[in-house]
Amino acid sequence: MNQSPRRLYIFTGKGGVGKTTLSKAFVRYLVEHDHEAVYLTFQNSALGDNHVGNIEKTVNGIREISLDLEESARGYIERRLNSKMISTWIVKTPFFRALINMTPGFNYLIFLGKMLQMGVDNPRLIIVLDAPASGHALTMVESTTNFQQIFESGVIFEDTMKMLGRLNDPAYTKMHVVSLPSLMSWQEAVELKAGLRERTPVEVDITVNNCLYPLLENDLEQLPQGLREKALNEKQLVEEHRSEMQCILPHSLNKNSTEIESDLVGSLSNLI
Amino acid sequence: MTLSTKSFEIFCGTGGVGKTTLATARALSLARSGKRVLLITIDPAKRLKDLLKLSGDAIGEVTPVELSGTKLHALLMSPEKTIRRMAAKNNTPDLAENRIVQILSKPYGGMNEILSMVEVQMQFDSGNYDVVVLDTPPGAHFLDFLESLSKIRNFFDQNFVEIFTYLGQKTAKAGKKVFGLGFINRIVSGGVRKLLSYLQAVTGAQFIDDFIQAVQVIYQSKDAFLKGLSLQDRLKSREECNWFLVTSVEQGKAQEAIEIRSHASHFIHQDHFLVLNKCLEQELVGWNPTSEKLVKIKDTLESKEKDLKKQLKELFPVVLEFPEIISLSPTDHIQHLTEKWNSYVLQG
Repeated sequence: MNQSPRRLYIFTGKGGVGKTTLSKAFVRYLVEHDHEAVYLTFQNSALGDNHVGNIEKTVNGIREISLDLEESARGYIERRLNSKMISTWIVKTPFFRALINMTPGFNYLIFLGKMLQMGVDNPRLIIVLDAPASGHALTMVESTTNFQQIFESGVIFEDTMKMLGRLNDPAYTKMHVVSLPSLMSWQEAVELKAGLRERTPVEVDITVNNCLYPLLENDLEQLPQGLREKALNEKQLVEEHRSEMQCILPHSLNKNSTEIESDLVGSLSNLI
Repeated sequence: MTLSTKSFEIFCGTGGVGKTTLATARALSLARSGKRVLLITIDPAKRLKDLLKLSGDAIGEVTPVELSGTKLHALLMSPEKTIRRMAAKNNTPDLAENRIVQILSKPYGGMNEILSMVEVQMQFDSGNYDVVVLDTPPGAHFLDFLESLSKIRNFFDQNFVEIFTYLGQKTAKAGKKVFGLGFINRIVSGGVRKLLSYLQAVTGAQFIDDFIQAVQVIYQSKDAFLKGLSLQDRLKSREECNWFLVTSVEQGKAQEAIEIRSHASHFIHQDHFLVLNKCLEQELVGWNPTSEKLVKIKDTLESKEKDLKKQLKELFPVVLEFPEIISLSPTDHIQHLTEKWNSYVLQG
């Protein structure tokens, strides 16, 4: 690996395009290249009684953390007010719950804050975020700017400014939009990339996942008509837009997600 | 299999599975059968937006659309326009003027879900439509939101009282009266003032004041919000609502559909439909490849799809299959999928 990796990689895209598998495979890739990396998700539920705390586990040598909203909010307040007791009380009050649950995007602000704090606490850690799908990724990215406008001043304003500084630093953060090799999916990915670029100066790349044509292109005449057209459409799409595609990944013939992950690891050096 | 028409039809799914296209085709199929249909969509791809003529001034407005000779209405959600409609309808202009409400009702401010419920309710109440088809945002987010509806209801019941109690004391000291709410002084809430003072240390006093102001204007529109929320009960009723959970073969994951349903178990009724899009079966069934490599590819594709269908059929009461439409034209997609929807109606 020639280039030194960034500290934060955000994978997004429509649901079902393989974000999870791809982000896990990317963590594996980083770990195999001697980096300390973690796979991160947000437990996106309202504040309430059913919170389970941050969940941390290691699956096949990959560290996975799923952040809990209440615990992330509590941790922040504890740091700011220097009291575990008060922070525990605050997050349980109906007013605070209502504030967070009723204010759209506040959840993302809390998650992003916690995530960036993890990066501060451990300067060697590379975070790979399996981010919410499309529209919600925009909500997530926009939340920092919106709340910066809402708060105007105070400790949380300063902290939001710091968060924006890291999140919007091209040397710190990189975003990957994952797409399938169909015209519709591609156009949606291009729109999402444009939407993200309007909101942040960091690099946003598109990866096309699950391509069938590389497996089929030498045998086109042996395919049934529909499948042949599908392969040809994919091929045409990739050829037309190759320069805009950071990474083109073939369909894996494996069934289980760990095997698919291992299939992908070798093809991910472009994502750095 | 029966697929009768209800007042509401909701499409949920993981996104990238053709949910909006399927919902559009469904709306068209209903319109062809003579129903007055409104399709509400949240974040369609640009080509579909163009096809439905939902760009520019049409965003956030009910727009008449003609697709292959059939007329229906479509609405692309704009939180800002919905807020303005609510404010006009309920005569609460402050709602549209509040700074926090304005920032949060930007297109990606996060108010899409709750406002789409309010919008569905307002549009259905207009009496102009027999069916409202709602294409929801992708993933479990919409369902998380529906689950939190009951919490929002509690918020209107309890938290407002606490805030107003505090405000009542605060404004009583300042010698002016903001609310004519007589019950305020009867409820004691010592914790709120302490809480607000702690929160102010973190967020700054201005934010807390702004938030309380936003809460006040939202409270003025309480009835409209609660009415939107009451839609939940109608959506739970099998007489009034069809639920379609959409997934695709490409995704190959029964897991997500199951997760969505288990999330949704509180409000989805029992006879919902699992829609499996982009089936390749018809394509693969007549293919007899000879080379070893192609045999393996065919077997993999075929067995992945078969396993998925088998799994889904064990888990869902009804599975509706739709073929993958191999065409670059969105009009073709909608045309073919509409025919498929028609065939399901005929079977019913």
